[in-house]
Amino acid sequence: MSDTHPVNEAGKALQPQHLTHSLLVTGTERLSLLGKHADVLMRTYICGELDESQVSERGLKKLVNAHILYQPDETRGFILRPQCSDLIASMVADEHRRHINADVADKLETMRMRVQNYRDAQRCGDTIKAESELQHLTNQVHDLAGQFGEAIDSLWHRLNSNFGFVSSLADKIRENDRAQKQIKRLLDGLNLIDFAELIELGEGNVHLRKLLVSQLQRQLSGHHTSLLEVQVRLAQLMLRFREQQARSVLIANMAGFLREHPGFVVGSYTDRSTVPDLFNQAKPIVPAAALSLDSHSAQQCAAEIARSLPMPERQQDSADGERAQVASGADSSEVEARQQALKTDVETFMLEVVDTGRASSALDYLEAKGFPWDAEVWLFQVLSEYQGLQHEQRALFRLQRSEAAASRYNDLYIISDLELSFVQAA
Amino acid sequence: MSVHGPLIEVLLSGAFVCAISDPENYRRLQDEQMVSAADEYLKPLNRRVAQSQDGQVFFLSYLHFDEQARESLKQQLGHTVQSLLPLLEWMQLVQETLGRDGAISAGDAIKLQEYVLKTEDNPSLRQRLQLLANDRFFNSQADSVDAQAKQIFKRLREHGYLRQPHNERQYFEVTGKVDYLIEVVRFVRDEENLPVSEDAVQETLI
Repeated sequence: MSDTHPVNEAGKALQPQHLTHSLLVTGTERLSLLGKHADVLMRTYICGELDESQVSERGLKKLVNAHILYQPDETRGFILRPQCSDLIASMVADEHRRHINADVADKLETMRMRVQNYRDAQRCGDTIKAESELQHLTNQVHDLAGQFGEAIDSLWHRLNSNFGFVSSLADKIRENDRAQKQIKRLLDGLNLIDFAELIELGEGNVHLRKLLVSQLQRQLSGHHTSLLEVQVRLAQLMLRFREQQARSVLIANMAGFLREHPGFVVGSYTDRSTVPDLFNQAKPIVPAAALSLDSHSAQQCAAEIARSLPMPERQQDSADGERAQVASGADSSEVEARQQALKTDVETFMLEVVDTGRASSALDYLEAKGFPWDAEVWLFQVLSEYQGLQHEQRALFRLQRSEAAASRYNDLYIISDLELSFVQAA
Repeated sequence: MSVHGPLIEVLLSGAFVCAISDPENYRRLQDEQMVSAADEYLKPLNRRVAQSQDGQVFFLSYLHFDEQARESLKQQLGHTVQSLLPLLEWMQLVQETLGRDGAISAGDAIKLQEYVLKTEDNPSLRQRLQLLANDRFFNSQADSVDAQAKQIFKRLREHGYLRQPHNERQYFEVTGKVDYLIEVVRFVRDEENLPVSEDAVQETLI
């Protein structure tokens, strides 16, 4: 792993003065290129190739010199260097392109070398060089741990989004498979790190021990645990994906088979001595019960229920109420007039059904005309007018009731609407 | 009886009890003692508590197969086999229309409005819905996508494949009975040696 990336080099304060200065200048200049051309570079990231009309010749040259863009060969346009694509993919968590670096061997080799350089410098009493080597080593350790951190972040991100960045189930299965392979490589990489060796490398030096043993070991064992956890979760998710896939394929194939064989009959599973559990479905029983009055406690219960029944509230509106009013000696001519009006309105409704020849809902009609009648009274009247018709006339109409049982255990049917239609004489 | 009265009543009514259709009773049925108490109670009625292979759905089975039981089971089987194709087609149609990853399964939520909107936009989906709605199982004579879909979902609710948590909202949850249906499909396939595979063709990765 060669540290060519300007970010790493620019941050170091312990280089000889002139070198540090020139690094700082070049690095800053080149980093600012990223910002200056952010839009063009992002477009290049998305399209794959640079649109050369979007950037001046000088600008392009600078980008190439800064190792941001390059031209793989003459026949192709300019593309982003892999390091730059990686940087963008990681910054925007683009799981399509995010690169997982599982290479550990090279970093370990560099670390061994740095430790050797550091010890040599110390032995010669060159504190400046020793400090600088320690700085390099620290960066290297951070890099190594960060590499796993980045990979784990990407894996969790993919897991938690349910691989939402690809659309089809087959793609998700492939992505999951790829993620599992990455984990395997990462775990293999972690296994390359031999803590006994790190302890040996850090022996006798407090800085080295702190860096290589306590810090690195702690971070890596944390990463190890995370990786194993992601691995388990990915395997579970994969199982679910596969089940889902198997299920859709099964449904499609079975439906296809049944379509092709319309006369398909199954064996007589229910005549076997033991009926398969799946098809052993007992017929429903409704545990009906009614109040009986032959026991004393039931009588009491009945009385309580009767007492608790709500009294009819809408006496003014209900048909019963109207009769009650008559009985109680209210102004009977007024009531009669109201009833006549109701009757007339219902007749108008029936005539309109005959005229239009279309089936109409009694309630819709009531609402459309804005008659003052209560819905229940209206339906009741329509029903009674219909039933009061002569047999031959009644045959010309068809009355459909929209009704439903009051509850599963109660066979009382409640009419919610009536639909009247006129049957053309055949 | 007082504790599991409601449970017995629901089971006797022929309902499939799963975690979605009836969470409270499903929880009760997780207790083995409760199940054996219910079995004991149901014995004189020639019933016992049965569950699907994956244990996600409970229903009542016959204990002994007398003539009456067999006659009822035979009818039941006939209905199940007849409803197989329309139900499978519905599952396929919903999955495709809503652009879901996998086949619908217990716990999935379906918004009728979303389904209708996506169908209305697509002539081929519209035609398939029309055909499905005309199937005897759904039995809709309606012309509009909305009315056809409503009728289909209503029938599925009546048959216990869907739950509608709020009567006034066209929002449905798929119940465990759909998983039971898949078990039926697998059973029929295995029994009849049907050439119906469930392995996706594995594309090779290069």
